[in-house]
Amino acid sequence: MSDTAMEAAGLGKRFGRRGGWALHECSFRLPTGRVCAVVGPNGAGKSTLLAHAAGLLAPTEGSLTVLGSHPAAARERIAYVAQNKPLYPQLTVAQTLRLGHELNPARWDASVAERITYENGGLDPKAKVRTLSGGQRTRVALALALGKRPELLLLDEPMADLDPLARHELMGTLMAEAAQYGTTVVMSSHVVAELEGSCDYLLLIGGGQVRLAGDLDDLLAAHTLTTGPVRDLTPHTVVESRTTGRQLTALIRPQGPFSGGPDARATTPSLEELVLAHLRSPEAPALILASARTAAQESAA
Amino acid sequence: MTTLTAPGTTATPTRRPSATRGLVRTVLLLHRPALYLWAGLFVALAALLLWLYGPGTDAAAAAWREYDRCTKATCAYDQDAILRYKSYSQYASIALAFLPFLVAAWAGASLIGREMETGTAQLAWTQSVSPARWLAVKLAVPAALVTVGTSVLVVLHRGMWVRGQGRIDNAKGWTDTFVFHANGPTTVALALSGLAVGALAGIRLRGSLSALVMSAVWTVGVRAALSLALPYLWPTVRTVTSLTHDGPTSLGITVHDGLLTSTGARLADPQCGSSHSSECSTLYHRLDAVSFYTDSHPQSHYWPLQLMATGLVLVLTALVLLVTFRLLKRDTGSAPLTKGAAL
Repeated sequence: MSDTAMEAAGLGKRFGRRGGWALHECSFRLPTGRVCAVVGPNGAGKSTLLAHAAGLLAPTEGSLTVLGSHPAAARERIAYVAQNKPLYPQLTVAQTLRLGHELNPARWDASVAERITYENGGLDPKAKVRTLSGGQRTRVALALALGKRPELLLLDEPMADLDPLARHELMGTLMAEAAQYGTTVVMSSHVVAELEGSCDYLLLIGGGQVRLAGDLDDLLAAHTLTTGPVRDLTPHTVVESRTTGRQLTALIRPQGPFSGGPDARATTPSLEELVLAHLRSPEAPALILASARTAAQESAA
Repeated sequence: MTTLTAPGTTATPTRRPSATRGLVRTVLLLHRPALYLWAGLFVALAALLLWLYGPGTDAAAAAWREYDRCTKATCAYDQDAILRYKSYSQYASIALAFLPFLVAAWAGASLIGREMETGTAQLAWTQSVSPARWLAVKLAVPAALVTVGTSVLVVLHRGMWVRGQGRIDNAKGWTDTFVFHANGPTTVALALSGLAVGALAGIRLRGSLSALVMSAVWTVGVRAALSLALPYLWPTVRTVTSLTHDGPTSLGITVHDGLLTSTGARLADPQCGSSHSSECSTLYHRLDAVSFYTDSHPQSHYWPLQLMATGLVLVLTALVLLVTFRLLKRDTGSAPLTKGAAL
């Protein structure tokens, strides 16, 4: 079995002949068994990337493979929860789970789906889907996705319409299930706080391209947040720098040992600081760590 | 709720049951209201046609016998039976002729369009079912029900119509446009074409209302075009009649008529009438006309015309299906990034 959950090579998608590129020259690799956050501003291409991985869209150029094959060929092994959590409103909760069984006869695990749906203040099996709240719908949609026992779970803004408590609960359930079965999870969000603590891999997308990719801890370790007197930061790569009076605050990628001088402080940035600095500086060079490089990128590097 | 048996802990199952059967059951479950509506329509129309075939025809035929036998100034006959038969048989023919439009509107709006609009199509495509398989089953299940239902109704309608021929003097003839279609397989073919167009509209437009409008309008257009093309789908029979007749004599469906000159050239009918009138006789003489002619279809052309028209509609349906599946495949699987989804 392939140890690559997802691999994009020059992936590009344009909607309509004259539309702009939603994704352009996107290349990265995601190893299996990771919980990967796909982060980026609205319109960055997160949903488009996930829809490609789910076998719902054909790329305009380049390719994307999931679990070692074309997304359409891996359909059985992938689960996908779209941003608006589409479900059939006329069905009951129980009928919706039954539908999961009917359409995934080879993989369906009713116990997983039922545990998520019915346990811990769960739902009434006879309730119609149209009567459910946003959080309850998300719960059913997640049950449908996890009941399939996917090897790769794609979640597009899964928690967007949930209150903090429901978000916390569902994230807990999700992580427990994913950990139990070694599921690779790819989760998009523009709320970075939602991802901290649950993700160990990061894919930052901006303007349709990959800006950061790699193990989250490695990415954080590759950056330094420094505060101190204004000074020249060469030879380090400066992602973002701001000057307030004689004080300089900068997020840098140290090239070699970094010492900011006696008055300077240097810390490892938080996920939020890392993401925000990159979002504010679209011209900063991309950083794709070794584990996230495709074979072509590896040989080029 | 039915208890589902879990496949245990096997992450990679060795047995690979197909999802097609489950998909068929799912389609029937999701479109249960439409299924009930179709069943209700079928039962109502079938009951009406059976009544017309039996008691309706008998009562109206008896009334016509009474009427035809009448030689006095006033006779007693069951006029209500005649009127009832006339109205109800027309309702039945028109209802049958309108079924294809109903099927098209439903297929566009509810079967495919709404799924594309709300993103539930995407939900289905990310189960173990490919978009093409999904569309094939989504179309095959209603196609089977529509074919069986309309075929039975057409057979009943034809039986009803045949039984009234020669017995009910005011029964519509075979050339009546509603009777023509309700008596033969064009109705079935038009319904299937409506289903296919509904699917195309749903996939292409991704909205239930727009797909409803497009598929209904398209089906009306196909039906209108078919009516225009129909007379030309089979060679006509020429009838040449004497100028002493009141005008050209049609055998059924007229394609061309007019005057023939002594050289065999065709002229438009000046609508004068019989050459018994000296005025017309002079006119015909001046035009060098020697007889009336009519190129028309006799009743024996009913089946050739029906089968040609059916074939034509089915070919068109096949083309529409081809385009639909190609479109779905090109987009593979044609995911609607539904409203609200960030790109």
